[in-house]
Amino acid sequence: MGYGKYVLFRLVNLFIILGLVTLLTCAIFESAMTQMVRAQIDEQVRADVMNYVKQQQSKGYVPTQEEIREFEQSRRELYERRYGLDKPPLIRILYRVRDVMTLNLGQSVSEQISYAGSREVKTIILGYLPNTILLFTTGSIVTMLVGLFIGFQIARRVGSVLDRFTSIFAMVTYSLPMWWTGLLFIFLFAFQIRIFPAGGMHTLPPPTGLLGYVDLLWHLALPLITYVFVNFGGVAYVTRQLIIGTLQEDFVMAARAKGIPERKVLYGHVLKAASPAIVTMTTLSIVNSLSGAIITEAVFNWPGMGRLYWIAIEANDMAIIIGLTYVLTVIWLIALIFIDLVYGILDPRVKVGISGGR
Amino acid sequence: MSKSKATSIERLKEFINEYRRYKIGIAGLILLFFLVFLAVFAPVLAPREKYDNWYNLAYWKENPSGVPPVWVNLFSSQKLPPHKIISIDSSEAEFTESGGTYKYTTNVTYNFKYDVPPNDIIIRILGKTYEGRNVSLSLKIIRPDGYEIKLYSSSTVFPEEYDGRPCKTIVFSKNREIGRNIIKWASQFENETNLRTISGRPEVGRWTIYALFSKAEAGILVGKAPMLRGEYSLVISATFYSDADEFYGIKVIIAGATFGLAGTDIYGRDLFAGIVWGARLALIIGILTSVVSTFIGVFYGVASGYAGGLTDEFMQRIYEIVASIPLLPILLILSWKFGATIWNLALIMTLFYWVGPVKTVRSMALQIKEQTYVEAAKAVGVPTRRIIMKYVANQVIPYAFAVMALSVPGAILTEAGISFLLGGRGVREPTWGKILHDAHAAAATMKGMWWWVLLPGVMICIAGLAFIMIGNALDRILNPTLRR
Repeated sequence: MGYGKYVLFRLVNLFIILGLVTLLTCAIFESAMTQMVRAQIDEQVRADVMNYVKQQQSKGYVPTQEEIREFEQSRRELYERRYGLDKPPLIRILYRVRDVMTLNLGQSVSEQISYAGSREVKTIILGYLPNTILLFTTGSIVTMLVGLFIGFQIARRVGSVLDRFTSIFAMVTYSLPMWWTGLLFIFLFAFQIRIFPAGGMHTLPPPTGLLGYVDLLWHLALPLITYVFVNFGGVAYVTRQLIIGTLQEDFVMAARAKGIPERKVLYGHVLKAASPAIVTMTTLSIVNSLSGAIITEAVFNWPGMGRLYWIAIEANDMAIIIGLTYVLTVIWLIALIFIDLVYGILDPRVKVGISGGR
Repeated sequence: MSKSKATSIERLKEFINEYRRYKIGIAGLILLFFLVFLAVFAPVLAPREKYDNWYNLAYWKENPSGVPPVWVNLFSSQKLPPHKIISIDSSEAEFTESGGTYKYTTNVTYNFKYDVPPNDIIIRILGKTYEGRNVSLSLKIIRPDGYEIKLYSSSTVFPEEYDGRPCKTIVFSKNREIGRNIIKWASQFENETNLRTISGRPEVGRWTIYALFSKAEAGILVGKAPMLRGEYSLVISATFYSDADEFYGIKVIIAGATFGLAGTDIYGRDLFAGIVWGARLALIIGILTSVVSTFIGVFYGVASGYAGGLTDEFMQRIYEIVASIPLLPILLILSWKFGATIWNLALIMTLFYWVGPVKTVRSMALQIKEQTYVEAAKAVGVPTRRIIMKYVANQVIPYAFAVMALSVPGAILTEAGISFLLGGRGVREPTWGKILHDAHAAAATMKGMWWWVLLPGVMICIAGLAFIMIGNALDRILNPTLRR
């Protein structure tokens, strides 16, 4: 398979999965969404009727009860047609799938969820999304740097104290829920030793200019520390395992036998051979930490998608939940494809999806 | 047949011997035994009633709200009183009858030896009067220093109901008459300045209880006098005016500043019960999900690899699709809609967790299929089913056990995360994740209630760690290439 064909194949897979997930989401929330839409239509029709009567009165005509009822009926039918309520449920679901996939996500149900004054679900999610990306990418970068560095170090000193400590640390942090670690850190560093804020993204009112960035960093610090603390051990351990695995290969022995200095063997031969696997495995573990990072946002009141999940669940807001599910799936799939493609470039032998691992 | 049996027992022995060499595996087993112990003996350690009534907040009314576990006393110089409930039956009360009055007197002693007074004292008097007539209740306390304080005396009915019986409840920190009596008595020891500071203060609240348990000297009303340790007796008497009236007994609740082995949350729920029963729930979710999904995954992988050709191709496409579905958002909506109990949730997770072993098992099956002995067996005409059972299963089953152990933590952590986000909309049972949801919703970290956050989370870690350690040891024994 050529690279272009390979990319195309992955993209087709992406759309199949995206379609399936959206279909599932829409099917699950079908009845609830229909109820919600009906309520919204009722509201709309009421407003329309009021407008109609007012309009007629301004023209000096008082409409009869009969006429009002007729108008109301026609408006209702119009809206029901527009929202597909006159169709059978299955068709309605498909309509909704189309709407969701074109980011036509409707209005949030509860009054208190809004972004910059808008209750449009799309605006709300797109408003919260950058904050998730900010936290997640900075967290990933720092985790990668720390994890790779420590992984290299301990791979050269197998069996040392640092090595054993890191292996145990990786195991312990693997069983730590990131969000719970966040709760503990908030307790320790925000309420006992008061060095970090307990949550949020800005002090109120937010300072402007350079101070604004400092303030943002100060708020970012604790969620970031939590993220790195829970994840870097795993990255270091994976790196160590892969390097050790490569060290056992025959070509390494051959290189050593030739008398190539150990440093050169490690950074030249071993690293070159192990890097595709290291990149994929570590990015995969980072992508897998997305769920944890999302839940952690709820703990830190970090105004990202996790926080939005928390408030949408509290408010029983299906429209937001459907939107979040869709957007999160898109992000997830893009990340998987990205890893696949990078892997395809790094290791041309393998043109098969590695998205299988969790 | 008998020969193969002998070898399998030998192999098991060999395996056990090897397992013993891994400290990490032994540590994992110890943690697992601890969890299994909690799960099995949950009904002994904490009555099932507590588990059933977890969300029935009325059930927990008598418990102090948001107090730490009793063992904090070990780490702090300040000794805090535990929670104490004293029940006295009508038969234990002293009964006197004179001229148409029927008087029951009970004497409750409380040995106070702490640095902080109890949070509160609640007295419930249970009885019934004929046609709802009045009863005379009186209450006094005799302190270790000999002072006798009349706290309460009133003619009343039994306005409330408790355990299906009429009841009158007196709460010390909320009763104006008791507060006034304590202040009046304590004022005689107090100096001018302190009296001025307290003038105008409401006659209710915990400060009156502080005075009740303080030494009779200046500072008693402003919390400056030291605590008076020793035996306090509460004398409670109820006088009835008709022989048709009934007296059932008295319950004295000394609301402690500590409670149980894990403290209470703001609703007064005994967190120890939640933690112990949570172990059972977590093990059910974790083990059920991992065992069922590993079985499905192993069968799927073997079938796919062994079948080969188009079937394999098709099965791999399905596998890839399921494996690429993002777990968090999907599990969230599915468990919101269908995850009413942990059983449902385990089933839902299984729908996505089975993909775990598929890839490795498939490649194992592919490899074995090419072996000459399998070809030979095929050539001789051994049925496919037997080939799979004999050769493939032999290699795949040990691997499956390692996968099983290693996928338990994922299931437990996922359940906890989902329950944490969904709270009341998730599973019905009080899992550790749900307890943590309640803690976060009530801002437990801000209120300094560390026990509410720390202990359920530590349990999640222990559960995860136990299985990772066991799985790690299994993996090292069964995959010799990893040994280093």
